Amino acid sequence: MLRKIAVEKVETLASALMEKGELFAPVADSAGVDFQKIDSPGDVTLDFANTLRSPKSVFFPQADDMVRYRLTSGGIETKAVPLSFESRIILGVRPCDVRSFEVMDRLFAGGGIVDPYWAERRKDTTIIGYAFDAVDPADFYTTFGIGAADQAGSDIFMVKGEGVFLLKGITERGEDLLGSITVLEDASAQDEAYFEKKIAEGAGLKTRTLATEGIAKKLEKVFESPYWIEAAAPCLNCGACTFVCPTCHCFDIQDETLFGEGARRRIWDSCMFTDFTLHTSGHNPRTKKSQRLRQRINHKFSYYMTNFDIFSCVGCGRCTRSCPVNIDIVAIVEGAATLP
Amino acid sequence: MKQIETRLREEAKRLLETGEVAVVLAYGRGYDDRHPMPYAAKTASDTERIVFNEYCTHNMARYLMDYPPGTRIAIAVKGCDSRAVVVLLQEEKINRENLVILGIPVTGMKDPKTDRVIDASTTAGTPNPVLYDILLGETVPESDASPYVVLEELEEMAGADRWTFWKKELARCIRCYACRQACPMCYCDPCFVDQAEPRWADKSPSIESNLMFHLTRFYHLAGRCVDCGECSRACPMEIPLYLFHKKVAKECEEMFEQAAGMSVDDKPVMVDFRVEDADEILL
Amino acid sequence: MEFEPKILGIACNWCTYTGADLAGTTRVQYPHNIRVARVMCSSRINPSFIFRAFELGADGVLVGGCHPGDCHYSTGNYYARRKLAVTKKILDFAGLEPERFRVEWISASEGTRYADIVKEFTEEIKTLGPQRRFAIRKGADE
Repeated sequence: MLRKIAVEKVETLASALMEKGELFAPVADSAGVDFQKIDSPGDVTLDFANTLRSPKSVFFPQADDMVRYRLTSGGIETKAVPLSFESRIILGVRPCDVRSFEVMDRLFAGGGIVDPYWAERRKDTTIIGYAFDAVDPADFYTTFGIGAADQAGSDIFMVKGEGVFLLKGITERGEDLLGSITVLEDASAQDEAYFEKKIAEGAGLKTRTLATEGIAKKLEKVFESPYWIEAAAPCLNCGACTFVCPTCHCFDIQDETLFGEGARRRIWDSCMFTDFTLHTSGHNPRTKKSQRLRQRINHKFSYYMTNFDIFSCVGCGRCTRSCPVNIDIVAIVEGAATLP
Repeated sequence: MKQIETRLREEAKRLLETGEVAVVLAYGRGYDDRHPMPYAAKTASDTERIVFNEYCTHNMARYLMDYPPGTRIAIAVKGCDSRAVVVLLQEEKINRENLVILGIPVTGMKDPKTDRVIDASTTAGTPNPVLYDILLGETVPESDASPYVVLEELEEMAGADRWTFWKKELARCIRCYACRQACPMCYCDPCFVDQAEPRWADKSPSIESNLMFHLTRFYHLAGRCVDCGECSRACPMEIPLYLFHKKVAKECEEMFEQAAGMSVDDKPVMVDFRVEDADEILL
Repeated sequence: MEFEPKILGIACNWCTYTGADLAGTTRVQYPHNIRVARVMCSSRINPSFIFRAFELGADGVLVGGCHPGDCHYSTGNYYARRKLAVTKKILDFAGLEPERFRVEWISASEGTRYADIVKEFTEEIKTLGPQRRFAIRKGADE
């Protein structure tokens, strides 16, 4: 089904969605627009190009308690954090970010060991995708066959039209939710045609592309190239790129205790950090930033493809936009791809 | 700026051709004109890729420590950047004889995120390099604008309101360490925050851990921060770190009558003392 | 129940700590809220100790060192004076009540003065109430 709501009524929509589950949606703050858990429906904005950080923290929070514990005179009391989550809805996910969930699913939930912290959150979440209506110079999602108005992967897909948001049910879950929101109006046949027009427009929006033919093998081949030293020269080794990225998923597990109470928690790590692969022995196989940058690129464009048959990148352009020294991931990969 | 770019390329080429330096730290083109990148030219032909425009805000002093001691380096520095070089010289992290400092006197630099002109409200506002071997342009008139006027609003607030402000800002920190990594003076290996024993701060970005990281970092940079603003421009969450660094710089200048990075012969204020320092500074 | 503040005292071995000892041996009474950590010299104090103390819930921090000019190591307290002054400015700018952090020069012979200062400081902290700004984990102001 196709339903609609006036552009000015975002708050009403948000409010209605909040009655159906925990709502995660874009909110404007001093740094830009970012996904947050919504407490106040008026905070939601759908007026943005793309969010500063990806929505991955809905399924993979930056700090995720796994076990809570207390040190007592008798020993340690532990309590595993229950893995039951309220129904969730993410509103306003761009197609590249929708694809990122699939990319991460292959690691966290695809055969072999299933990560319950990811999988349980994924289970009862409804994704409302949102078509792009413009392209940012840093975007390159066309590379991965992701269209600006791709509906695949969303439960509900939304486009912005003249003064109206049109929402289409894609999956059964999406249809159920859509049908239950009373503040939405039913769409007319005209609206249906308009929706299709918007989808076609979106399909026509192309970003720059990165040539990825044979890149996985090529990167293996050029592993020892001195290219990486020059490529990494401007890199500051902060973690900005990895933290804004929708598909970066490296993590550390730390016991964080205070006054005898604490939690074993999973926290985001970054291959860019100097101590990323620091061993307990003191040995560090990646002391040089050229090794760490090479690792990031190889993980995303080589190893992940070899292991999971998909690139660990969706071309959202966030890393390039938030890099303090303006490193462009496309240029780095192209530079490696064109090495003799 | 175009003239500066031309002169920068000329000097870089000459220095590399004659072998006077092994590397020239300057700026190169990024994915578009608004996003130049730090660039290290190593051969004469590399110098054709050097650019200079109003978005070349990066402090190249950050990269001096990336090279083995003894490497002969030419470095392009704007006003505040040159002060960072001075601090590194004061702290004996680099050798003056191995440096050729290409000074760039300039105003009108812009923040690419907002296109706003960068001035004394977010940096020290030093337009002319304080130390250089070759000046790549005409000195520009020094501004009278105080770099500390922007602090008035916070200074006049009640403590409780200031705390509300900083709590809100520091809670947004995601501990990416872009600020630390962008700073030429943050060269400690290991950094205190990466140590597990003692564990000063947790790794997770809770407000209390963020507070420990930032307050300690503000302290570690006392008398060393040259107010170049790079930390704040690097921050993906746009936390106005420069406000706190400015405050600490202002207090150090008032208490110890010395500004960071102005003269190679100065001793950094926190490793120095005067018997006449007044007890009143503790109040 | 009356609020009993938790006050961290950091005292230099040669002067303040000895002065505190003197207060003890001469049976001068002063409130028990202060818990003293001994350092060999006030310059050993890492300002992070102070940030951490407040983060962990200290209601007040009192640092004691030798009078400038009388440092057992000649110049230690001159450095400490600068370090602790900057620390104070940072705490103040961050919005912590300035009265919660105090630095005093207390010599080995000033037993009564040590007690008086602790008494006064404890009273002041009692008036200010529990520290709820940095002590976020302790329940704070939310």
